[in-house]
Amino acid sequence: MTDSPALVCRSVTVDYGPHRALDRLTIEVAAGETLAVLGPSGSGKTTLIHAIAGFVPLSDGEIVLNGRPVARRGMAVAPDLRSIGLVFQNYALWPHLDAVDTVAYPIRRRGVPKAQARSDAEELLRRLGMDALVRRRPAEMSGGEQQRVGLARALARQADLYLFDEPTAHLDAAGRVAVQEEIAAARLGSGAAALYSSHDAGEALALADRVALLRAGRLVQVGTPDEVYARPVDVWAARLTGPASLVGAHLEHAPGRVVTVAGTPIEARLEGEHDLEGPIQLLVRPDWVSLGGPLAGVVGDVRYRGPHTDYRVDTAGGALFVRAAGTPTAAVGDAPGVQIERAWMLRADTSEAPPWTTG
Amino acid sequence: MAAEPVASTTRRWWWLANGLTLAALGLLVGRPLLELILVGADQLAVGRPGGLDRATAGAALANTIWTGAAVAAVAVTAGTAAAFVTERTAVAGRRVLRITILLPLLVPGFVSALSWARAYGPGGLLDDAVGVSMPGLFGAAGVVAVLAVTAMPVAYLVAVAALRTQAAPDLGRAARVSGARSRTAFLTISLPLLAPAVVGAAALAFIAAINAFGVPAVLGTPAGFRTATTRIYQDLARSAGDEAFSRAVLLALALVLLALVFVVAADRLLSRLGPAPSGGGPAGPVASLSRSGRAASLAVWVVVVVATVLPLVALVLSALTRAVGLPPSPANWTFANLGEALGMRYVGALGRSALLASVAASIVVALGAVVTSIRGRSIGRFSAAAVLLTFAVPGSTLAVAMILAYGNALRDTLVLILVAYVAKLWGVGHRVVAGSASGIAVDPYRAARVSGASPLVAVRTVIEPQMRPALAGAWLLVFVFAFHELTMSSLLYGPGTDTIAVAILDLQQIGDVGVVSALAVYLTLPPLLVATALLIVGRSSASRRAP
Repeated sequence: MTDSPALVCRSVTVDYGPHRALDRLTIEVAAGETLAVLGPSGSGKTTLIHAIAGFVPLSDGEIVLNGRPVARRGMAVAPDLRSIGLVFQNYALWPHLDAVDTVAYPIRRRGVPKAQARSDAEELLRRLGMDALVRRRPAEMSGGEQQRVGLARALARQADLYLFDEPTAHLDAAGRVAVQEEIAAARLGSGAAALYSSHDAGEALALADRVALLRAGRLVQVGTPDEVYARPVDVWAARLTGPASLVGAHLEHAPGRVVTVAGTPIEARLEGEHDLEGPIQLLVRPDWVSLGGPLAGVVGDVRYRGPHTDYRVDTAGGALFVRAAGTPTAAVGDAPGVQIERAWMLRADTSEAPPWTTG
Repeated sequence: MAAEPVASTTRRWWWLANGLTLAALGLLVGRPLLELILVGADQLAVGRPGGLDRATAGAALANTIWTGAAVAAVAVTAGTAAAFVTERTAVAGRRVLRITILLPLLVPGFVSALSWARAYGPGGLLDDAVGVSMPGLFGAAGVVAVLAVTAMPVAYLVAVAALRTQAAPDLGRAARVSGARSRTAFLTISLPLLAPAVVGAAALAFIAAINAFGVPAVLGTPAGFRTATTRIYQDLARSAGDEAFSRAVLLALALVLLALVFVVAADRLLSRLGPAPSGGGPAGPVASLSRSGRAASLAVWVVVVVATVLPLVALVLSALTRAVGLPPSPANWTFANLGEALGMRYVGALGRSALLASVAASIVVALGAVVTSIRGRSIGRFSAAAVLLTFAVPGSTLAVAMILAYGNALRDTLVLILVAYVAKLWGVGHRVVAGSASGIAVDPYRAARVSGASPLVAVRTVIEPQMRPALAGAWLLVFVFAFHELTMSSLLYGPGTDTIAVAILDLQQIGDVGVVSALAVYLTLPPLLVATALLIVGRSSASRRAP
């Protein structure tokens, strides 16, 4: 393999009639890298994957796979001539084929004789621990099993780039874990590049080397999981990447930098944009704040979740969500105060509603 | 499971509905067919029909079987190809094309045959324009061609439904990213997945073809090409005599056996092929057309125009033209034919057809609602299956059986025809009503029950409003089929009870082309216009509702 990136999307634009599904999207996936594309439904994740696979034509821009241009306006290499493995959201298993024939299908297309292809497919299924599924058709499998066979089919393609189109979106918790583990294991084994789309922040942060945030067909931010979690470019990005509280605050630069919430100075690790001044917002992740501290607040809600407990503490600057290990140490109505240990400073110009998103 | 809400109504209603269904089945189908079997056995026991007549009947039956097979092959090939073009390619004018493909559904077979004769027969539109007429139009070739045209919409609908319920865009895509060329993907994935649908469509086309009477009566009989149905008509309506009668009974029995054997065989084959694939997967944007795709869409457009549009145009022009042989230019136009068709001679027939059709439709919808309400229990399931099977019983057979069972009491009355209509079309209405019922979720009904509604109130307030469009649709469908019905009417009518279709057939045999065309236009255009309007309205409201 060459040193060129596995995938380059340059200013990729896709239109469905008057609707612009992808708008000048530019991203790159290095060889061996996993890029997660995180966005709500309708943000263009599936369109991006279909454009890379060759199912939708580009209105503008260019897609390059391993240094080879495969699509631009008016030009598209057929899907079977791109070296791509694709795992579908709806599994897309063929109802008339059992698992062996399904996995043998891409092997057959490489020109391998039928008997050989079937034994290769069976071998692959066994290696992935799917011996029991070999003779079963999709109708006889659970969702998680179907998706694992879908993954095996993609792996059998021996592609340079794997595309995962929200592969766990339709699975229950157990199936989700099984498929995620399988994908992680398969990636370690093959060393190929991957692009993984998801609307689930936890999944994207856990699986990817880098995360791209997509909103209405546009790229909002790209960075390592820690970057997009700790330094989101705006409130929208902050909410997409995990649970967050927003607190109204005030920033003054004279004589030194002083941030106050309702008059209380905040002694915390503060980062953010450079030219801020006056009223600002502090983005505070639940793990960046602890109970007991100078900022006055009353516990409004307590949720015990097993490994940790979530609290909502109402302060003069707004509600703060606090996550602490172990069983509850405060009850509703207590006023322990809070200590903000870290915060990300954002402009105060947002007009959007409550800051909590599930993560 | 959707049957549960209504099935859990009171026990008394369950008995009542079952009793009603079984009684109706027995009276409408069971007793007539039993009578037919008894009389048939009787005739065979006394050695009738004789050897020569048996040979004649055998020849007619052979014609029926091979034309049925040919029609099924042509209709399924064309219907499946058309479905691929409208569902999978960016064909120009997709919506208009869809509606045009479906047009023959609402054109009675004998009107299609008449229109083809006016378009491609001697003295037809093509003959006027370029001096060419289709060889063999009157005869086996014409019968197969026009029957295929009438059977194609159903094959098309079945194929479209199969293509839509498959997550096929994704299934095809999965094959492409696995390295399959588009042709390989089509052959290894798309086509095998369609197999159950293709078998089902072929079975429907075959049944429709062997049941057909109007087309072979108009195009086959004048050329001496006889099928089982036209032979029965000839023997019953056109000749008297014991041998002819025995032959008709024998043919009626053979025809129903053929249909039932075929239905059972197709059912077996279908269950071997497994359930039709289903599953999600949004139909993505349609791929741009390759060159072969473009050729295929052009071919479908040409076939549809030649098979459906031109003949109907020719029919309308004939109705407007002063005399046969004159070119159908505006200078030769007249409204005399259209006026005469509304004269006293035919207004009675039109009125009788409308009356019969509306009463039959009302009864069928009521029966459909009753049978649907008992689905899910064993007797209910038996009733539903029996009701569907009645549709496979050929109209000719059913008419002969009706004569044998009720001919003495009801001879020459409209009631006899009505009973036959209800028996034949019950299955059609049931399909629509039951299909809609199976799409209704259980939970809203349960929600009504826990909100304090009694079973009947829950049905009335929650189930019935959801079913109303289906009930109306079933009514309209049965009305149109009954309004167009020719096969049974032509065997059952008597003095003063002829329907409009029978009047057209009689007049056509005399040869008054202008008035025949005018009557056929009256018979066909109103349902066509209404249905087209409904289709357009329904489509746009359906697309508005789509997420």
